[in-house]
Amino acid sequence: MISAGNDIVALNAIDKQRTDQPAFYSKFITPTELALHNSDEITLVNFVWLLWSAKESAYKYLKRNNPELIFAPAKLIVQKLNILNPLKTDENAHNSYRGKIRKGDTVLPFLSIVTKEFIATVIDQVDVRWSVKQIDASDYESQSKAVRIFLLNDLKMPGASVEKHPVGYPILIKDSKELDIAVSFAHHDRYVSYSFQIPK
Amino acid sequence: MDRKEILTELKKVLAPYTESKEMLAGINEDTDLIKDLKINSANLVDIIIDAEAQYNIEIDFDAAEKMYNVGNCIDVISEKINKPA
Repeated sequence: MISAGNDIVALNAIDKQRTDQPAFYSKFITPTELALHNSDEITLVNFVWLLWSAKESAYKYLKRNNPELIFAPAKLIVQKLNILNPLKTDENAHNSYRGKIRKGDTVLPFLSIVTKEFIATVIDQVDVRWSVKQIDASDYESQSKAVRIFLLNDLKMPGASVEKHPVGYPILIKDSKELDIAVSFAHHDRYVSYSFQIPK
Repeated sequence: MDRKEILTELKKVLAPYTESKEMLAGINEDTDLIKDLKINSANLVDIIIDAEAQYNIEIDFDAAEKMYNVGNCIDVISEKINKPA
């Protein structure tokens, strides 16, 4: 399946006190998923938003091939979550996590990075490129413009442009034709992120 | 509470999460929270929690996932408000 899915959560833009409450996280995290939480490896707040970003990423990935799909985070189940660098204890360190998320019979691997500023996740298929950038403004228009420029600069494909498919995901256009490169965008507050599958 | 009254209250719930104040003023049952109001998906749970407080109801997993446009939000809220105790 050719697709792409990523998400980003800016940690200064979320309500940490609210996140900590079962009334909040129980809206989209199942008891089975909650059992994956290891407080030695990740705070509950970061765990909650990591799972959210994994669910968003999986939804975007699956939506491309299933346009009728509705975002139902409680039905995208994180089955596995492992920290990759458990020896990092410096509070400024970036921690990375790998996991698996399931929707029905489909299981997708994901990779997440947790920093002090953001949590970013990508559906980690073969030949995926993924990047995150901080921008100067947090309004929707600025985010939308910045993430497009960010992707096109990194893609280094002169003449390519980004348009929006009627279903809502971004598509790459060159010479009036849609390119066979699946792209995903995410933005939250002053952070933007893209992922795409590198064409073979 | 009829659908019009629920809509009026719903605007107050959505207001903190959208930059599109003009669009919010003119919302109808087809308005999509993310595509039209440009609400970041990370705020969808906040909206559900705020709606629970605003209408004194409880919105479960299954109901929450229907709340992606204004009409569906009103359906869920209306059903919960009118549910016999």
